[in-house]
Amino acid sequence: MQWKKHKTWLIQTGILAGALAGALLVGALFLVLAKSDPLTAYGVLFSGPFSSQFGFTETLVRATPLLLVGLGIIISFRSGIINIGGEGQILMGAVAAAAVALALPGVPALIALPLVFLSGALAGAFWGGIAGWLKARLQVNEILSTVMLNQIAAQIYLFLIRGFLIDPQEVAYGTGVPQTALLPDGLWLERLIPGSRLHTGFLLAVALAVVVYIFLWKTPIGFRLRAVGAGPEASRYAGISVSLYTVLAMALAGGMAGMAGAVEVAGLHHRALEDISAGYGFSGIVAALFGRLHPIGAIPASILMGALILGADMMQRAVNVPAAIVIAIQGLIILFVVSSDILLRKPEYLNRLKKRFFPMKGGAQSNG
Amino acid sequence: MDDVASQSIMIGILAAGIRLATPFLLAALGEMFVQRSGVYNLGVEGVMLMGAFLGFFVTLTAGNPYMGLLTSLAIGAVMGLLMGLVSVTLKAEQGISGIGLYMLGWGLSGLFYRLYVGGITGIEGLQPQPIPLLEKIPVLGPVLFQHNIIVYLAFLLVPLAWVVLFKTSWGLKVRAVGTTPEAADTLGVSVDKVRYQCLILGSMLAGLAGAALTVGNTHMFADNITAGRGFIAIALVYFGRWNPWGILAGSLLFSMADSFQLFVQVLGIQFPYELAVIMPYVVTIIALAVTFGRVWAPAALGRPYERGSRG
Amino acid sequence: MKKPSWIRRVALGMVALFTVGLVAGCGGGQQAAAPKAEEKVKIALILPSTIDDAAWAQSMYEGIKAVETKMGKDKLELRVSERLSKPVDAGAAIRQAASEGFSIVIAHGSQYQSVVQEVAKEFPKTTFAYGTGFQSGPNIFAYDPQAQEGAYLLGFLAGKLTKSNIVGIVGPVEAGDAIKYNKGFEQGVKAANPEAKLRIAYTGSFGDIVKAGELAKTHMDAGADVITGSSQQSVGGIKAVAAKPGAYWLSTDMDQSSLAPETVLAAQAYNWEKVVTKMIELRKAGTLGGQHLTISFAEGNLDLKINPKLADKIPADVKAAVDKAKDEIVKGALKIEVSSK
Repeated sequence: MQWKKHKTWLIQTGILAGALAGALLVGALFLVLAKSDPLTAYGVLFSGPFSSQFGFTETLVRATPLLLVGLGIIISFRSGIINIGGEGQILMGAVAAAAVALALPGVPALIALPLVFLSGALAGAFWGGIAGWLKARLQVNEILSTVMLNQIAAQIYLFLIRGFLIDPQEVAYGTGVPQTALLPDGLWLERLIPGSRLHTGFLLAVALAVVVYIFLWKTPIGFRLRAVGAGPEASRYAGISVSLYTVLAMALAGGMAGMAGAVEVAGLHHRALEDISAGYGFSGIVAALFGRLHPIGAIPASILMGALILGADMMQRAVNVPAAIVIAIQGLIILFVVSSDILLRKPEYLNRLKKRFFPMKGGAQSNG
Repeated sequence: MDDVASQSIMIGILAAGIRLATPFLLAALGEMFVQRSGVYNLGVEGVMLMGAFLGFFVTLTAGNPYMGLLTSLAIGAVMGLLMGLVSVTLKAEQGISGIGLYMLGWGLSGLFYRLYVGGITGIEGLQPQPIPLLEKIPVLGPVLFQHNIIVYLAFLLVPLAWVVLFKTSWGLKVRAVGTTPEAADTLGVSVDKVRYQCLILGSMLAGLAGAALTVGNTHMFADNITAGRGFIAIALVYFGRWNPWGILAGSLLFSMADSFQLFVQVLGIQFPYELAVIMPYVVTIIALAVTFGRVWAPAALGRPYERGSRG
Repeated sequence: MKKPSWIRRVALGMVALFTVGLVAGCGGGQQAAAPKAEEKVKIALILPSTIDDAAWAQSMYEGIKAVETKMGKDKLELRVSERLSKPVDAGAAIRQAASEGFSIVIAHGSQYQSVVQEVAKEFPKTTFAYGTGFQSGPNIFAYDPQAQEGAYLLGFLAGKLTKSNIVGIVGPVEAGDAIKYNKGFEQGVKAANPEAKLRIAYTGSFGDIVKAGELAKTHMDAGADVITGSSQQSVGGIKAVAAKPGAYWLSTDMDQSSLAPETVLAAQAYNWEKVVTKMIELRKAGTLGGQHLTISFAEGNLDLKINPKLADKIPADVKAAVDKAKDEIVKGALKIEVSSK
């Protein structure tokens, strides 16, 4: 019994490792095409994020927003909604947080900082809530609305940070870079390790993961959200207001993404600037799914995603290949890992595939 | 402003709207077949980028735009096959595999461009082919009948897709597989096979949509030239409620709003340009919101089919 | 639903990895570069787009490459990091370059001001440079192209050469260098031809070349016959203008006439070779930063390039007027205002 359990474990870890190896093998082909040495490149990809304080802290710097966005994704997916509006929600959260922080000069951090986070979360929740409301009331599909809302948010964000929120210095010097002024330094999140950019936002994100877990699994509201996700018809019969919970789910998802925006402002950049969302709205989805849509699983998954993003970036610099190769290899890794998922869920599928593709040898080493 | 000028501007807006709608139409019609069969492919953007690059590259090296278009169809088929392997055979979560396909296509197109072209280079590309007689019709002529061949093709595909989807036995199979795969399976329709066919067809159209941007419109390639158009195309499938005519309406609405806002800006009406830029997105949401009604979607959308399982 | 056990497994693995990472990381501190005994100049270039964007990024890349050719390949090492439009990734790249002993880190974008200021404090022996910008520091060069100067001359040309009296700008986003450029251009058009109308419109992005092309076509449909625009999307505009005989394009950032020899009339080009050479020399002399490097006609590192193929399209008196204006700008007699409001 015990052994069998271990054996399954070994197989599962092996499958994941195999998927990763497969992706890297194909990726090596691209590296060779780009006239670089795959071994050196991959050496950096793996060791980069883990072999120095720089790599380690920068990984967590990326894991922070990934985790926050991912938690929102988990809430919405569990409630039966696909939220691909994370990018816009992050931007709304970031700009609201920056605006509130700049409007409160001299207010002690103990009071101001919660307000900053709250405003970021509320702005994100509002933006996500629009998509929720459109779906619940007017049956507008959320994929359509969030794709559109992302574009709209990007323009509103730019309008605000180049308009009346712009750093007065940028106007004075005529450089006009679209960014807000620096936040008062009392509102900067503490750096966890001196000489690095890792800030307390990471701890906040981890704490929120626990909160989201408790919320989804231990509270009646969380239960109803998941019930709506599991079967809207049945929930309706059970007397749950599906439209209310649809709006709530999207608002919560947007709120988490908005929180990510606020954390990036207060923890990392100390102002709102261009491209602050950095694609986390999409990579957060991947992190959430890697974490099996479980808030606690999302913690290691977002660290893994963060390491992947950083390691690929470091690899590009180390072997001087075109940056495009990084995106291609990340795409491959996602494809391979997501494909191997079937073998994790259903080990017997391995044998079915074997039989199908290698009918001669198949089935001999069966191991369900 | 005198009448001649305002008329030429109006023709300009409408013609640009038709031109801009072309890539959306091709990619969205393709995605419609894919989703009708029960799969959603979020990787359209990546397929478009590959089609855009290879269409451009072959046109550049072979000197023949039609070879370029064929290549973009071919690479689309390959990408569709890959998506089928991942999403149909291996039953992977479709949202996430689509993002993977998108990143693969984006990265590879950028890489190949750097390795084999190396900088902004122009091609001859497709030239407008006015349709004899029809092009002479006032207003309608320059708006509809002075485009390149991909534009005509995209619009002709609308009725064709409708016929295929609703009037052929293959279309019936596609719809069955997307709504009640279990029943289709019982009747001897191979769910996986139909889904593969749709993915390949849909991705070929997405590849062509990419080529419409490079070989057809701009006559060059640049990194990430699609700039999010693949995602808009997916949204337009939902807008069009999985119906070719709805998709046509959505594509035209979006593109016309876009060309209109450019014109509004050019004429210098004073207001923040951001408002103009977001106009097509807002118009699309509002249009869908005010026409709400019975919402139908392929019932098995996003659900990998596993024989003997329900759900 | 029973499944989180493998999650625990992964989590444990991650913790283990990080412990190893932390231990290893604490061992190796930050190494400091020794500025005096440099045999090789090591330059790290951080770019928001790509080295082949035919605009801002490519112009800098080619400038450094020219320095490399002059100094000899063994005297200069260049490492390029592209596509760093996201500030979080740019911050990591800048920090990594500094910690790996690159002596000059050029963050080629105004959006890098924030990160450069932060990192520069931690690496006092490294020279940082960024621009367009105004905030220098003890070890930061802020370089500042006076885009409005060349823009004025290009606008002047446009005003003189337009037959329809309508000139168009295909703008990216109304911010930063685009504002400077547009303001200078506007003043040039007005000075040359008070009758001419200048129309400014924006695509809302930097890299959407399809939209830039459509915007250029819209300008032409509305009557414009001389068009300009900045940022990497402008190649889309050039191509669209090239398809229409009799219409001209005016370039900025670099000479783009090779893209459309019959269409690009003139260009404002930054001479990064001179700027980078100056940085290297200053550093050699012990100045690690603290200067505001202006790129202007007076400094001799800004060029107005007339496309030789189309030079005959510019009447001699117009050419003379442009040269005169340039002279006045150099002497300081003509000032192009950019400060807004």
